[in-house]
Amino acid sequence: MTTALSHYLNIVRDNLRLDPLSETAVINELETHIEDELQELKEAGLSEEEAANTCVRLLGSAKLVARQIYEAHSQGTWRQALLASMPHLLFGLTFALNWWRGISWLLVMLVLILSTVVYGWWRGKPTWLFPWLGYSLLPVVVAGLLLLYLPRGWSWLAILLYIPLALWLLYSIAVQAIKRDWLYGSLMLFPVPIIIGWFIAVRLEGKFPGFSIERLHDFTLWIGLSFLVLAVAVAAFIRLRKRQLRVAILIISGLLTLTLVAGYAWSQLGLLTFLVLILLMLSIFLIPALLEPKIRHSGQHS
Amino acid sequence: MAQRRELVKGNAGSLLLCLIEQQPMYGYRIIKELEGRSQGYFKFKEGTLYPALHRLEKAGLIVGKWQTLPSGRPRRYYYITGKGHRLLVVKRSQWQDFLTAMNLIIQPASA
Repeated sequence: MTTALSHYLNIVRDNLRLDPLSETAVINELETHIEDELQELKEAGLSEEEAANTCVRLLGSAKLVARQIYEAHSQGTWRQALLASMPHLLFGLTFALNWWRGISWLLVMLVLILSTVVYGWWRGKPTWLFPWLGYSLLPVVVAGLLLLYLPRGWSWLAILLYIPLALWLLYSIAVQAIKRDWLYGSLMLFPVPIIIGWFIAVRLEGKFPGFSIERLHDFTLWIGLSFLVLAVAVAAFIRLRKRQLRVAILIISGLLTLTLVAGYAWSQLGLLTFLVLILLMLSIFLIPALLEPKIRHSGQHS
Repeated sequence: MAQRRELVKGNAGSLLLCLIEQQPMYGYRIIKELEGRSQGYFKFKEGTLYPALHRLEKAGLIVGKWQTLPSGRPRRYYYITGKGHRLLVVKRSQWQDFLTAMNLIIQPASA
């Protein structure tokens, strides 16, 4: 195949952002089309190069073709939408209904999250997996906090080992998500500023895990409500076809939820923290988008 | 020309379903058939055929299967499904009603 046609198919592949199986099937189908077209054009008397250029012109914009095929495949079913919004719903209910006080419920949540992530990973990383993947990192955060309670010398040693390991784990998971589509990296990470916002707002007294939980009671309903907003946003994300609308729904709902957190806990957060959280939210969309081309191309070369 | 393109765009699904109902086909054949049978009236921008086919497949109206041609080359053939057949019956009836109504108005009245 000529350089022009290989280049054309590479642009389609880079912009498809489908699961690897569907991506290969689409590219194979376009290749067979090109094969037929080239044969016919050459039989009509065109040179190899003329035939390739005519073929590219007849196919039309590679980006447009990729975008339209993405839109044909992107819409998930209502069941997938429910599945994707489930971790946010469960997290919200855990606070709204005060289930967070029962260790057995927290263990059930942990097992459910980890088993769903393993199942989704095994099924080829469907879109509904990514919100679960974000929550699967929570045990890593909790483990880090628990390390602070080891005897002094051990605590430092454990933390020195823990930080690179935790960062490596976060990086590996984020790279896997971004490699598929940077938007899935954002989908995975977008509750992070909300969780940090509530964590700062609650201002737990004392040291983990023995801190006073009384202050948390004032916030539980609002925490529940904020995660309900995220659940609705994720369900809408799954049902939408157009990529721009998907980006918009995540950014708008993220900013709306941060405003809700700040509105309820303005005295605890203040303007500076609110602005930092907004910047963090925007960087969760910007950084994966900037990293995606590099990650994809390094993956193709290795 | 732009008007014609809009007409094709608005009815691409029905056109593709009609062709595939008559005979399972792969992408390149579909374009050639459409162009040939309509005597050049219907011309698809070739790249946009595949998104249209994938939309129909995702909606469960057609199904694509890889098959090998006698020459040994694999091609993705599209077959109409039961759901596709049922939709096509409705679409045909709608088109007939539309054409009848259009003819009643557009044809010059006889003296």
